[in-house]
Amino acid sequence: MPSFAVCYRDYVRTALKADRHFGFDLRTVARIEPCISFLYKEWWKVEFDGLNMIPSTGPALIVGNRAGFVPWPAFMLMYALMANKSGPRRLSIVGDLDWVKDERLYNLLVQVGFVPWSSANLKHLFAKGEIVAAFPEGLSATCKPFADRYRMLEFDWTRLLPAVEEGIPIYPLATIGCEESVPTIANLDNLAKFLEMPAFPVTPFFPWFPFPFNLGSLPVRWRMKLLKNLTYPRASKNRDKIEDTAKNQSRFIEGDIQAELNRMLRARIKGN
Amino acid sequence: MATWTNLKTLGFRDPLKALEKRNPSFYNRYAGVEDEFGFDLDVFAKSEPLFRFYFEDYFKVDVKGLENIPNEGGAMLVGNHSGLLPMDGGMITMAMLHSHPSPRRVRFLVTDWFFTLPGIREWIVKTGQVRATRENATKLLRNGELVGVYPEGIRGVGKTFRERYRVIDFHPGFVQVAIAEQVPIIPVATVGGDEIFPNFVNIKGLAQTVRMPFFPVTFAFPWLPFPLMFVPLPVRWRMLIRKPVELNYPPEKATDRKLVLKIAREIQYDIQRDLNQLLRERKSPFTGWHDDDDEP
Repeated sequence: MPSFAVCYRDYVRTALKADRHFGFDLRTVARIEPCISFLYKEWWKVEFDGLNMIPSTGPALIVGNRAGFVPWPAFMLMYALMANKSGPRRLSIVGDLDWVKDERLYNLLVQVGFVPWSSANLKHLFAKGEIVAAFPEGLSATCKPFADRYRMLEFDWTRLLPAVEEGIPIYPLATIGCEESVPTIANLDNLAKFLEMPAFPVTPFFPWFPFPFNLGSLPVRWRMKLLKNLTYPRASKNRDKIEDTAKNQSRFIEGDIQAELNRMLRARIKGN
Repeated sequence: MATWTNLKTLGFRDPLKALEKRNPSFYNRYAGVEDEFGFDLDVFAKSEPLFRFYFEDYFKVDVKGLENIPNEGGAMLVGNHSGLLPMDGGMITMAMLHSHPSPRRVRFLVTDWFFTLPGIREWIVKTGQVRATRENATKLLRNGELVGVYPEGIRGVGKTFRERYRVIDFHPGFVQVAIAEQVPIIPVATVGGDEIFPNFVNIKGLAQTVRMPFFPVTFAFPWLPFPLMFVPLPVRWRMLIRKPVELNYPPEKATDRKLVLKIAREIQYDIQRDLNQLLRERKSPFTGWHDDDDEP
């Protein structure tokens, strides 16, 4: 704990002031920090572009592409924001947590900063001026086949609705590397139904090895890029108009992320 | 099973008469009409059987939403470019010729490089393609023709196999023309074209020496003797034609670069989304889609 407080002094200062309504716990973050910093710096060697675009105060929504069963991109984004020397921010991640029945796992996720998705929760976070990450492809994207890697599923536009209502800036985030680091070989639907999980992926690691090793991944280089936030008209009181704006925004953000993924993949093939 | 009868029609003595018999409304529309860009119905009729063979028997192109192309009036077809030999244009032409209630030719805007090739140049012009300039596009749209544009340009054709179905950023010029001429834009997503010539490597140095936009290496291209190296793989194609996008902006807005870029991006993103959707539903390149089985 002391070394964590020294290394991330500014982060600790902001996080202590941050809202703890959903069970955020700095001690848990400090405990998992060595693990995720190893993944970020040594294993995947994440290159993060555009971090300076994030405002140092005030609410913002980051929307990204999702990959793999374990939400590694969310953890990497969390670490990037935490280790950002100029104005670190605490990240809350909204997602579907209903299916997590195991209490220890649920507590761990919540203490790290996950928040069950709901409109009210999002609005609460925005009102407190927090940064929120959302992955609106939904749980069906957790088990994309390897052949469909970096091809986005359609966004659930209702996920962006609270942000559009409040007029929060939305930043698209494109991540590449995540799908190759844990390639999904197959998805066992029936077993997933039996175990009441959203999907049961088969990866080179997953069901084969004993516990900590089945979360293993390949040392692929990651690249994450935050894009410029979109400007949209401040929503009026008219419900239909708000919904239309949210629909358009979600389509455009999805396209933006997909186009950026294409660009990054092309750059990687060409070798720069 | 493939029927090869379409290939037999290649040997017809009088292709023009065959076209008249097969598709009278198309023939009557364009026979004897002078065209300032050099469309020649005779040459078109001569090369039509080969493309018909590709369309019906070889690629078995399945066109969805052809009714979205209007019967009359100018419109702009915008698509993702694919294949080393850009066959996607020919396939749209075939679809318009054979399956549309009002058969019309599609005038594709072709990049300058093809006009440096003797022989090919004449064939391109006579089958109805036009050199890609803004003036040509404007003139065609004023004449009420269908204009086909691939805003990715020649880069889109030279995509390597690993980049297949990943749209390169669109050049926004087509939106400017569409706004200035007040015509709708019709997005077309094509799946299949990027796999007919799997392009493994692009040799840049060699391409520069032989003055080609790219020098592809495929399973056949530089290796096999002449006609064989241009034989494509029998991949199933599917095209999805979306409803026309009406741009309700006054013509002055054509110079608003921000707006133009935004519309171009929106259309690009729509096409990419359709591609993703089509690919997700596809069983494999050679067997096509799941719902193909239901067809008799």
